[in-house]
Amino acid sequence: MSKRRSADSSRRNFLKSAGLAGAAAAMVPPATANAVPAAPQTRKAAIPGPRQVAAETLAPAADPVNQTSSGGDFMVDVFNSLGIDYLAINCASSYRGLHEAVVNHGNNKPEIITCVHEDIAVHLAQGYAKMSGRPMAMACHGVVGLQHAAMAIYNSWCDRVPVIVLGGNIMEADKRAPGAEWPHSGVDIGQLVREFTKWDDQPASLQHFAESTVRAYKIATTPPMGPVFIALDAELQENPIANSKSLRIPKFEPVTPPQGDSGAIAAAAKMLVEAQNPLIICDRMARTPAGMANLVQLAETLQCGVIDNVGRMNFPSRHPLNQSFRRGLIGQADVILAIEMNDLWGSLTHFSDRIVRQSRPNTKPDAKIITLGVRDLYLKSNYQDFGRWQDVDLDIAGDGEASLPALTEAVKRLLDSSRKDAFSARGQKLAKLHTAMVEQSKTDATIGWDSSPITTARMCAEVYNQIKDEDWSLVGTAIRLTWPHRLWDFKKPNQWNGVSGGGGVGYNLPASIGAALANKKRGGFTVAFGGDGDFMFNPGALWTAVHHKIPILYVVHNNRAYHQEYMYLVAMAARHGRGVERMDIGTTIKDPNIDYATIARGMGVHGEGPITDPKDLAPALARAVAAVKSGEPAVVDVVTDPR
Amino acid sequence: MKRTKRIGSAALVGALFAASAWVVAQAQSQVQDAPAGDAGNGKRIYLAVGCFTCHGRSGQGGALTGPAPILASTAMPFDGFKGQIRDPSNDMPAYSDAVLSDKDIGDIYAYVKSLPGARSPKDIPILNN
Repeated sequence: MSKRRSADSSRRNFLKSAGLAGAAAAMVPPATANAVPAAPQTRKAAIPGPRQVAAETLAPAADPVNQTSSGGDFMVDVFNSLGIDYLAINCASSYRGLHEAVVNHGNNKPEIITCVHEDIAVHLAQGYAKMSGRPMAMACHGVVGLQHAAMAIYNSWCDRVPVIVLGGNIMEADKRAPGAEWPHSGVDIGQLVREFTKWDDQPASLQHFAESTVRAYKIATTPPMGPVFIALDAELQENPIANSKSLRIPKFEPVTPPQGDSGAIAAAAKMLVEAQNPLIICDRMARTPAGMANLVQLAETLQCGVIDNVGRMNFPSRHPLNQSFRRGLIGQADVILAIEMNDLWGSLTHFSDRIVRQSRPNTKPDAKIITLGVRDLYLKSNYQDFGRWQDVDLDIAGDGEASLPALTEAVKRLLDSSRKDAFSARGQKLAKLHTAMVEQSKTDATIGWDSSPITTARMCAEVYNQIKDEDWSLVGTAIRLTWPHRLWDFKKPNQWNGVSGGGGVGYNLPASIGAALANKKRGGFTVAFGGDGDFMFNPGALWTAVHHKIPILYVVHNNRAYHQEYMYLVAMAARHGRGVERMDIGTTIKDPNIDYATIARGMGVHGEGPITDPKDLAPALARAVAAVKSGEPAVVDVVTDPR
Repeated sequence: MKRTKRIGSAALVGALFAASAWVVAQAQSQVQDAPAGDAGNGKRIYLAVGCFTCHGRSGQGGALTGPAPILASTAMPFDGFKGQIRDPSNDMPAYSDAVLSDKDIGDIYAYVKSLPGARSPKDIPILNN
């Protein structure tokens, strides 16, 4: 981190012009002030000494060394007015003023969460927000730290998660010290992340800061949610407050999420009720604990299947109407209600990843598609996370969770006894198929049960056996690791919180710890799976978990490869009819194998493994669970088969 | 033209269980004509050329862009197995004889046939939570 080395006369001149050099020490030359600390008056009506004479007769100092207020203090007051609980940081000189103010003026409120990389700080905030429902702030160096943070901000953007990102900057060129402050400053640092934040600003005054921060918070937490960025000018943070009486913290009132138009809701209800095979498909639907209950009510009213793309904890995994692993239903549906979908086209289309990339709809040609959501109400141009265009028949702009009760009531109003009988028969059929689906999953999980490397099915079954009686939340999984959703009984709103959003590697470990921080407050048990490749992007996140006493059971799905890429490379070689035996080059993480338990122990984390024999897994997990229940983080390194 | 034929075949099956459905269809339509293969050599090749990356070392199946079917104790006849390797109906890579001979395929087939298939989950208490 850079050090701001020299006093800057123009900054001190601001102090002089503001007339706020109230402290006696500020009224004497710096050398004198340093040499003779101010002493309390012990006698009344004493003869004025040289310090007092100076205070009363000399002009204000040009270069004061003390101050009694700072813009940073006011910034802390603004954050606390919004109820921001935590500030995740990797410390940096460009926001030293704010940092000091949080510690001393705010008495460490918001509580600082120390991170060893900005990517960790943002991902931690992403995981925290999804589990707690509340955004966290993070602060970074505005240029170099923000570039480190950018990947995690992009994941948060794609995942529609609010994070309040703060970046220090020195706006005025004549205030920058020689050296690091120049490459660490920018004219418009927000442009680094503007394409994947909802809003940003660089306030030029404290009042401007207050209004922009409250506005940013409001924008971030209004669906579709997303990260926001505020540049913090160093002068504004560090200098005394020039006009404290005129400063005002704006009142924050959250936006009521928009509900779908009543006419459109009625039309959707009519289509769903009249359908022979209606189907609900959803992704990032549940924003609050009410979301899952709202969806269950609609599905049970219609007695229709639900395919959950698990972007959030939308629908119980063992609900009889859950058909998430029976995607063939898409091709049988005559009306599809798609709620808060991330990639609707991708979910309704078969796509071939072959030399000539082709696609075809999975839907019936005459299927009617209804969309309900707010995702497309805020899009940007450059990054293409909005996905391919999907034709639809009824497009309802409205927050999914907020609109569901009205839709359910509209459906109920259209029901008569004959329809209820038909719906009931449909539901019973789906329930049987659901039961068969679960039994098939259990049967499939037995294959290779005693093998080494350990199958992912066994790993997930063993973990569930250890935590099933806890108040658990699964907050991370590896790519295509679907066994938890196939085998575990997800039934509470806080038992799952989705995945990275943008697919940027390095999300899983820090975001899981962020979710665990949220769970710590309520006493929940947090568990996560994560790939070995993901782990190595941000292993330092474990230090944060130890330092802040955040309990979490983190199971490393260690297949010793960037396995998705390994498979793609095999496919590329096979296309060319050459070298299929060499595709471990550049795709595997071996020679040497990494010992993740030892890495964990090196940071003070309870570490188990590497575990290669499935018989050793249950005892290791039991020890790790005990450590977590005592308040520690624990890592279990499981050497696994690929998927 | 060949590609069109492949896509057309794929259109007959559902997205998630496309490969599994294909296996069943092949099993019903073709006769058992497996060569005597060397399962030991088949295991070596299965691991070397990347079969395990999608189908698992135990033949338990997996996923890439779509599901990779279970191969342990496969009921698929050899002709269908070989046809899927040479000219797959889905996103599975096509292995030409330049990288995998007919004998290699026969050995792999012998290996996956030898792998234990599914057991009853009732025999594994923790699968009944």
